[in-house]
Amino acid sequence: MDPGDDWLVESLRLYQDFYAFDLSGATRVLEWIDDKGVFVAGYESLKKNEILHLKLPLRLSVKENKGLFPERDFKVRHGGFSDRSIFDLKHVPHTRLLVTSGLPGCYLQVWQVAEDSDVIKAVSTIAVHEKEESLWPRVAVFSTLAPGVLHGARLRSLQVIDLESRKTTYTSDVSDSEELSSLQVLDADTFAFCCASGRLGLVDTRQKWAPLENRSPGPGSGGERWCAEVGSWGQGPGPSIASLGSDGRLCLLDPRDLCHPVSSVQCPVSVPSPDPELLRVTWAPGLKNCLAISGFDGTVQVYDATSWDGTRSQDGTRSQVEPLFTHRGHIFLDGNGMDPAPLVTTHTWHPCRPRTLLSATNDASLHVWDWVDLCAPR
Amino acid sequence: MCGAGFGHFEWLAGGGAGQDVGRSCILVSIAGKNVMLDCGMHMGFNDDRRFPDFSYITQNGRLTDFLDCVIISHFHLDHCGALPYFSEMVGYDGPIYMTHPTQAICPILLEDYRKIAVDKKGEANFFTSQMIKDCMKKVVAVHLHQTVQVDDELEIKAYYAGHVLGAAMFQIKVGSESVVYTGDYNMTPDRHLGAAWIDKCRPNLLITESTYATTIRDSKRCRERDFLKKVHETVERGGKVLIPVFALGRAQELCILLETFWERMNLKVPIYFSTGLTEKANHYYKLFIPWTNQKIRKTFVQRNMFEFKHIKAFDRAFADNPGPMVVFATPGMLHAGQSLQIFRKWAGNEKNMVIMPGYCVQGTVGHKILSGQRKLEMEGRQVLEVKMQVEYMSFSAHADAKGIMQLVGQAEPESVLLVHGEAKKMEFLKQKIEQELRVSCYMPANGETVTLPTSPSIPVGISLGLLKREMAQGLLPEAKKPRLLHGTLIMKDSNFRLVSSEQALKELGLAEHQLRFTCRVHLHDTRKEQETALRVYSHLKSVLKDHCVQHLPDGSVTVESVLLQAAAPSEDPGTKVLLVSWTYQDEELGSFLTSLLKKGLPQAPS
Repeated sequence: MDPGDDWLVESLRLYQDFYAFDLSGATRVLEWIDDKGVFVAGYESLKKNEILHLKLPLRLSVKENKGLFPERDFKVRHGGFSDRSIFDLKHVPHTRLLVTSGLPGCYLQVWQVAEDSDVIKAVSTIAVHEKEESLWPRVAVFSTLAPGVLHGARLRSLQVIDLESRKTTYTSDVSDSEELSSLQVLDADTFAFCCASGRLGLVDTRQKWAPLENRSPGPGSGGERWCAEVGSWGQGPGPSIASLGSDGRLCLLDPRDLCHPVSSVQCPVSVPSPDPELLRVTWAPGLKNCLAISGFDGTVQVYDATSWDGTRSQDGTRSQVEPLFTHRGHIFLDGNGMDPAPLVTTHTWHPCRPRTLLSATNDASLHVWDWVDLCAPR
Repeated sequence: MCGAGFGHFEWLAGGGAGQDVGRSCILVSIAGKNVMLDCGMHMGFNDDRRFPDFSYITQNGRLTDFLDCVIISHFHLDHCGALPYFSEMVGYDGPIYMTHPTQAICPILLEDYRKIAVDKKGEANFFTSQMIKDCMKKVVAVHLHQTVQVDDELEIKAYYAGHVLGAAMFQIKVGSESVVYTGDYNMTPDRHLGAAWIDKCRPNLLITESTYATTIRDSKRCRERDFLKKVHETVERGGKVLIPVFALGRAQELCILLETFWERMNLKVPIYFSTGLTEKANHYYKLFIPWTNQKIRKTFVQRNMFEFKHIKAFDRAFADNPGPMVVFATPGMLHAGQSLQIFRKWAGNEKNMVIMPGYCVQGTVGHKILSGQRKLEMEGRQVLEVKMQVEYMSFSAHADAKGIMQLVGQAEPESVLLVHGEAKKMEFLKQKIEQELRVSCYMPANGETVTLPTSPSIPVGISLGLLKREMAQGLLPEAKKPRLLHGTLIMKDSNFRLVSSEQALKELGLAEHQLRFTCRVHLHDTRKEQETALRVYSHLKSVLKDHCVQHLPDGSVTVESVLLQAAAPSEDPGTKVLLVSWTYQDEELGSFLTSLLKKGLPQAPS
């Protein structure tokens, strides 16, 4: 039996369910549209890329009689072509519009998902201030009555554009040139940013630029790159911001005090990451205190941060933590150990099924997996 | 000669809607020949809607006269289910082509289907057992890659399609025009069948199923894992697993999978294979072995047994044994026989599981439980309560978007036609195929006709003498300038030759006629005709630098081989008549000179 078969037998114990797909092109994007479909998009620089709206197999959505649904395939519900590589894609909620960002980074592309056919068509562009060829603006969407697109490659170029009128409704209006690594809309008036240096901030768009942020040189002094994600916003006290560094450090922060992380742990990952731009940390929508990280290699690691509060060893160094679960499917099913090992480009949690994740790699594979919590009581 | 230039295809689809339920029946007209591709039953209907509507073909006469042949791609009922109806009830006596395994398996499935429809559902107006037999007498079985002459112009060839035992893709060729019909096929090999394969035959048109064209398939490994997990979980909790299967192939593949797993996990739970299956095995052995792969061949030995370590022959009595076990039994839709017997014994226990590996026809127990029914009425008004777990797993392999692109890449057709049952537009897929593979892509709806113009190339042999003569004229051939070549096209015995006129005349024993045209151009000139001729000569000499213009002693002027002579008509001394005369071959030059001269001569210097 080859190692792939061996792992498959192992997987019977490790996963409730497991699907593996081969896309026509690798994606760095996994964006949900309702809980039944995702968007993926290619990022090749020399040829046309496809944007696809994929409907998940029906059995992932039904609650009863799952056994009667034999279909295990994705259905391509819509598709479109892009000449540019796409590094970020956001769906504008309650509309049929998408906004994408890629290289060259001088504009954002707005797309429309057709209703009467299966085409995704480019409809307009949004110009950006910072016309740097090598940086692409991060994008987030305010899903208010009049949707607004938040974008920027650097702090000084942060703006919110009203999608319909194309008027600028907010600008950071600062001269700070720090490079952004992620943007996240939290509610109608608030967004969070994370710079590549590890600097984090929460911005209220009703005021002139005055973010709650951490300015201490704590993280990011060794040239690492950082990304962050805010978890359940406005749902009680406790650390709800996770920040991940390319050296494997994972910090949990309370928004009320960004300067002092609640906990700071070291994840057992191979460092440095081959492409720190691919780092991703996400909170599980259905599991308390659970996080997933990826971007270091071909795995996705799931952690339970419940017991991490104030985690620090006696000598003050960060303590090592062990993942609750490690998804190795991309290495065994696709890698075969011969080609250069695959690298996970992105991952996301299923909005409704607590332990189901999707993960994609640079060799165009896409997995949907439902891991078994071996520690939980049966 | 019959209408040279453009041939055309016409395609009419009688496809159905939905994914697992549908029917295939396609009519292709190619260079005057009419071929029917598949003749499927629509399984979702119980009335005449399940049969394709042949009336639009038959309105012009008998089917046998109209159709040159019928081709059946494989034994699934949505591809052959209407065949006996079509041949015996509507009426068709021409040849029906299919592969050997299809020929062996079709009648069995058709008979099963008939039994269910008539005996179980009491339907009238259905084909009889005798009709199935009579229909199969019209079948001509073909081998893979064998060129079969349907008549002296139409030929067909079958290619391996994977998918199920005996499934084939067919190339239909008339002269230099061809169509490839894929039927259902699969581009990834599985444990018992290889992947579809076709050579770079470059047909004018490739017709392929597109029901799965917009899917991205879950990997084979994950499907297998799903199956193993279900079986393992059931036997772990002490339950029994029933897997109704039709015949070899798929069943054998699942056995190999379980065997490997049992070995790896060191499991002791018994696995059984019902005797009905092993009996059929010998019968099909000769047919299906060349169609499967090496691994399968190794597990089969020419006794009534498969060579498995952990899998044994089943005995009826075993069904009552306590404890876990796995049983493969026929028939596949749980409509009769051993699988139904076992099902009745095990249905009441929720620890047990039945895994249905394919589509079940309406009216069968398989279909009922897959629809969610949990209380079944059996013979004698007995009600069976189904507490066992029912799992539906799709093992049959279809090509997805990636697979279709691969096959199109292999065959290199000029155009692709996607058959589908749904009305929704697949604009994205069409664009993708057109852009990436540089072929035209058509997606007609049911009942729609698609006409594709083709430009068939007709090879013509040109005689050496003719070529030499052209070369001797001295002018070098230029790629961008077309040269006018005069010759005679002789069509004899499907052979085309271009020869010189003299040779043609000689071969046909004819004498050559010479045609000469003379045109009168009136010129205003008071001088004598000799002087007019001289004026004409000077004029032409100065204008026509590229041509050989001569003034002959007898007063006439020649431009190459065109002769110009001036004459004076008696009526009007101020007018001279120029007679311009040329042979048929020099028409172009002659007309040119005439137009030129009609414009008049330049004023003579006094």
